Amino acid sequence: MSVTIALPSKGRMKDDAMAIFARAGLEIVNIGNERSYRGVITGMDGAEVAFLSAGEIARELGNGNIDMGVTGEDLVREDLSAADERVTFCARLGFGHADVVVAVPDVWIDVDTMADLGDVAADFRARHGRRLRIATKYWRLTQQFFSAQHGIQVYRIVESLGATEGAPASGQADIIVDITSTGSTLLANHLKILSDGIILESEACLVRSRSDVRSAPDETLLDDIVQKIQTISA
Amino acid sequence: MLNQPKFADDIMTLFAQRKALPVHIPVIQPADPFLDMAGEDLRRRIFLTESETGESLCLRPEFTIPVCLRHIETASGTPQRYAYLGQVFRQRRDGENEFYQAGIEDLGDADIAKADAHAIRDASDTLTALLPGIELHTTLGDQTVFEAVVAALGLPDGWQSRLIHAFGDPALLDSLLQSLSQASGKVPGIDDRVAALLDSGDEAGLTELIDRQMVATGYMTNASRTPAEIAHRLVQKARLSNARLDAKALDVLKTFLALDTPMRDAADALAAFSRIAGLDLDAALNIFNARVQALEKAGFDLSSSRYRAAFGRPLDYYTGLVFEMSAQGAVLAGGGRFDRLLTLLGAKAAIPSVGFSLWLDRIAAARAVKSERPSQ
Repeated sequence: MSVTIALPSKGRMKDDAMAIFARAGLEIVNIGNERSYRGVITGMDGAEVAFLSAGEIARELGNGNIDMGVTGEDLVREDLSAADERVTFCARLGFGHADVVVAVPDVWIDVDTMADLGDVAADFRARHGRRLRIATKYWRLTQQFFSAQHGIQVYRIVESLGATEGAPASGQADIIVDITSTGSTLLANHLKILSDGIILESEACLVRSRSDVRSAPDETLLDDIVQKIQTISA
Repeated sequence: MLNQPKFADDIMTLFAQRKALPVHIPVIQPADPFLDMAGEDLRRRIFLTESETGESLCLRPEFTIPVCLRHIETASGTPQRYAYLGQVFRQRRDGENEFYQAGIEDLGDADIAKADAHAIRDASDTLTALLPGIELHTTLGDQTVFEAVVAALGLPDGWQSRLIHAFGDPALLDSLLQSLSQASGKVPGIDDRVAALLDSGDEAGLTELIDRQMVATGYMTNASRTPAEIAHRLVQKARLSNARLDAKALDVLKTFLALDTPMRDAADALAAFSRIAGLDLDAALNIFNARVQALEKAGFDLSSSRYRAAFGRPLDYYTGLVFEMSAQGAVLAGGGRFDRLLTLLGAKAAIPSVGFSLWLDRIAAARAVKSERPSQ
């Protein structure tokens, strides 16, 4: 029996995740050379470490292909429907902070809240012959926030895979839903966050896949890791 | 492909007797009209794919929109009644992803009351023919009456459109009523320069300021909302920010939305409501009463139907009547008036339209229950 724990494979996310595990007394050693994508935790038989991209970690947690992982809450909630039924957020790790927000051009001085935006969306088609367009890569979060939470039904999503904040100025979309950590990119692109437009305050989390087929020793092993990480991240 | 229900031919025969022209609608449809009309929320619930050239396509999730598009493309004259029967495809957590629907869309009949009544009667007659002896419950709503109440209360335009937009979504309407009953005070999120222009009511000055700011920051002034549009809405918003829905108006709206009465008493109940509230609803109530009379004339039995004032659909193409028919707790038919849909889809002239759709899988289930219990 063994469990697979996935960590981000590169960048700040990887360094910060490795540091948290080290502080919790869980030393991760790569198998083979330093750049390999597999590892083990010293002194913990039965725990395998896989280095994957943060997005893949979210998806594989949902599929149940990995047992636990470190990834952004935004990615998990975007990738998985009914995320809370499929995974458990065990610990918030204090890095990788990013808010998923609704931002509109700052010249829209009449729009400060989602209710304002609802008004604008409602008669957008009558005025412009098309629906209000939102550029985002967060389809699911946008739909939940606009349709389910704020009752705004009529808008169109324009998929944006990069430089989302440039979409309103270039006319590809009217507003955006994107992540921001300091807000400086939004500011530089003359966008403002609506006062009730924070969809999610995301950060890196230790996430455990809900599975009913794991063996008792595997569950104990995961419990042990969760407990160690919780102790130092609390 | 699912097998067509055995009673499909009976339905089409019945529809033909009601002078509805059968139309063939391809299973594969461009997705944009559905997403444009029903919103992005639909995206999760339809089966999407892409053509070789990148066009978004989907499996037919319903018939109304393609029937209307076909009507516009073929430039058929009105009035025209169309009949359809076929599979629709929707992602559902509970229930099958593909099932049959049948229905009639009645386009261009200027006699609103009569056309409404025929849609209700045709749905009811079809269900009764398929499920003889079944106890059918009909619920009716009417957005026109709600719009008339909101207008007669003399609420500001901005509020009227917000309320009408929320009609049919009880949670949204509730929170809206609550927020409207509190004054918001000064307009948030604007700087001193804007505030000064706003105080002096200088809409042209605001427009100019926004225009200059757009040019300076590299925003195109014609790609999205225009400076004039933004300035105008800001002025409107500032005017509303110190107003609040007074207790009497709130009470009137809540009393109205709570109306739920047998159809026979609905006209009297609405008349009493308008008298007590002191609102002139005559135009809307005339339409309502004409529909009731048309229903009686069409031979529809009013005794098993109710009028529920808050019943509506929160999509902007629905206009007047909405209705639903259920038996044994399952909705078997749904319908309504969508006078705005055809122009939204590109028709040159306004075409009043009403229609209904039957859920054949649920009807089949109800028939199965009946045949198991022949004595009932």
